[in-house]
Amino acid sequence: MKMPTDKVVVIPCSGIGKVYGALSREIAYELAERVRPDTVLLTCLPLLMIADEQATQLVTENPVITIDGCPLGCAHKCVESRGVEVAKTFQSISFYVAHKDHKPEGVAELDETGRKLAAIAADELAPVVDELAGGRVK
Amino acid sequence: MSEHEVARVKVGIVSCSGEEIPEGTISRLACRKVLDELRPGRTVTICLPLFIAAGQEERAFTAKFPTITVDGCAKRCAQRSTEALSGKPAASLVISEILCAEQCNPPVNRRNLTKHERMIVDVIAEKIAQTVDEVLS
Amino acid sequence: MSEFLETTHDKFLFKVKTGILYSKDDFWVEIQGDQAVIGLSDFLQKVRGDVAFLETAEVNTVIRQGEEAGKIETIKATFGIISPVSGTIVAINPEMESSPYLINQEPYGAGWIYRIQLTDWTGDQTSLLQPEPYFELMKEKIIQETEKK
Repeated sequence: MKMPTDKVVVIPCSGIGKVYGALSREIAYELAERVRPDTVLLTCLPLLMIADEQATQLVTENPVITIDGCPLGCAHKCVESRGVEVAKTFQSISFYVAHKDHKPEGVAELDETGRKLAAIAADELAPVVDELAGGRVK
Repeated sequence: MSEHEVARVKVGIVSCSGEEIPEGTISRLACRKVLDELRPGRTVTICLPLFIAAGQEERAFTAKFPTITVDGCAKRCAQRSTEALSGKPAASLVISEILCAEQCNPPVNRRNLTKHERMIVDVIAEKIAQTVDEVLS
Repeated sequence: MSEFLETTHDKFLFKVKTGILYSKDDFWVEIQGDQAVIGLSDFLQKVRGDVAFLETAEVNTVIRQGEEAGKIETIKATFGIISPVSGTIVAINPEMESSPYLINQEPYGAGWIYRIQLTDWTGDQTSLLQPEPYFELMKEKIIQETEKK
């Protein structure tokens, strides 16, 4: 069981072949660097997949949000494979579906519209982060 | 063309995704530059988490074609995973080691890269492209 | 006979399900009595990418072979659902409203799009392909897609 914590771990898709992978990562960076920098922690998805001790400890001790880039759901599945329940899971495509006027482009790096969409998505996820942090976010 | 001949004209690039570290971003961008600009048609991206999570397409490709792993840090997730799942990579690069050898300051940003960090991407991409040529020669 | 004909290009695996028919526009038709179920081939969903939006004609719409039964939007393109058969649409896959990604995940199964009451099966079937000839056509299309890049 997870102990009370004021940190939330966000794990995005690791894909480098589709725009939705880049969007997932940009949303995670927006959360960790702009929206909730004191609360959100990132860890590398492949570290979990090679059972890295520190990464595993991080997701074991803190609530986890996964943001996947495609329905294969690597991020979500990977965290669960470590015996950890994911608190909230999202697919980055759903943010585009909700904001059709912000069509993201770019695979290696998002274009300006994609970055705006990531910022909107991160703002929308802020209450989810706050809730998982148990109201301890200032 | 026989299957053996086909196997010598393609190489899989297994990139560190490194969401947590600046070297992860360098790795992703450098690998994409190789795939899209420097060696298109000769390189295929292997999605590391999908590869580890039993992705049928990634595993089938790496069983048949040589791979180059590009890791961001000394934990070498890409190399270790490839060794465990499809055998020894044809070549393994570690960005932190390359930058150290080139006496290049390490990157500090995970996004919105500086001019210096963009230069690092170019250096690493050239290194990967050279390695692709060596593997396919 | 195995369930799928398969070919690999780079790392991508393309599947053609056996036991059903295909249009040259890359839609499949599974005959069930006097009705048919329609969906996208694996090739089409892979080439077009992840489905974000799907609009279909309403139930009871009468449609001719070759006409549009709706539109699909992915990050790469918007394209029509070209009906491979004529008839009256009797059902839309209820999962499509909330989960259009099923088209990518299970193109030959849970990702079916609509069911249609056939009105000209005798005529329609002459322009449909068995899995083997469609498989050959698909391989040509894969090469064409590669050359575009």
